[in-house]
Amino acid sequence: MKNRVWIIIFSAVLLICLGAWIFVTNFNFSTNIVGIYQDNRLVKTIDLNSVTEETEINLSSEKGNNTILVSNGHIRMKYADCPDKICVKHGDLTESGTPIICLPHKVIIQFENPNSDVDAVAGAE
Amino acid sequence: MKTKKLVFTAILTAFALIAFYIESAIPPVTPIYGVKLGLANVFTLFALYALNPYCAAGVLFIRIVLGSIFAGLGVAFIYSLVGGVASFTLMLLLKRFFKEDKIWVLSVLCAIVHNIAQLLTAVIIMESWQILYYLPVLIVSGIIAGAFTGICAQIVFVRLKKYIGKFNR
Repeated sequence: MKNRVWIIIFSAVLLICLGAWIFVTNFNFSTNIVGIYQDNRLVKTIDLNSVTEETEINLSSEKGNNTILVSNGHIRMKYADCPDKICVKHGDLTESGTPIICLPHKVIIQFENPNSDVDAVAGAE
Repeated sequence: MKTKKLVFTAILTAFALIAFYIESAIPPVTPIYGVKLGLANVFTLFALYALNPYCAAGVLFIRIVLGSIFAGLGVAFIYSLVGGVASFTLMLLLKRFFKEDKIWVLSVLCAIVHNIAQLLTAVIIMESWQILYYLPVLIVSGIIAGAFTGICAQIVFVRLKKYIGKFNR
């Protein structure tokens, strides 16, 4: 076979794989479970991928009130009546970032299943 | 084995080892394990075409063992060995179909098989099928890296062919 034929075959495989990669990264088939903790107790777990419309979750205790906004794939602290508002400024919870923490109200929002397998591979060498 | 051939194999092994070592000092392009150039394979391919399969096996496996010792024997050794055995087997089986102007094609095929073998090893070691998620990336990286190393080996082989002939007489 000519070189040109091989180049076409390999380019085709390359494009198919790139397409598959983009498909796999954009469509997250796995669950994306986030846990909301208050006073070190698990209050609620949400699968971010199964959320279809924006919902608000109100958390209140004797320490204060928090409003959490959940939409498909995203979760963030919308409102807190604490003075510093660090948790509100944190924005969306990201897998690579730190958990959302509201220290004055002892509220923590974090991923329940960090993709430990994938991380283990990346760190294998 | 003639002394000349033995010495030539040893020199190629040393070159491969140096290439392997220099490459490991270069920071990886991506954080994905397994995506790398595999410069040392230029010398394995060259040995396969310029000498014979035994010399190529020597270059490959001595490089893997010594390279792993230099890098600190660990899990990486198992991955290297599995990848080496898989790609070398394919190389031996397919060599007769690819003449010297198609070394790069053989190199690409071997690189893909090398990456797939390593990925399957990772599946067994990690006991997780989720890793197969990396398959498309590793095939892409195999094609690019394999084409690069194959073209290098091909250029060197074609240029040095007339000098190499006398070793095999």
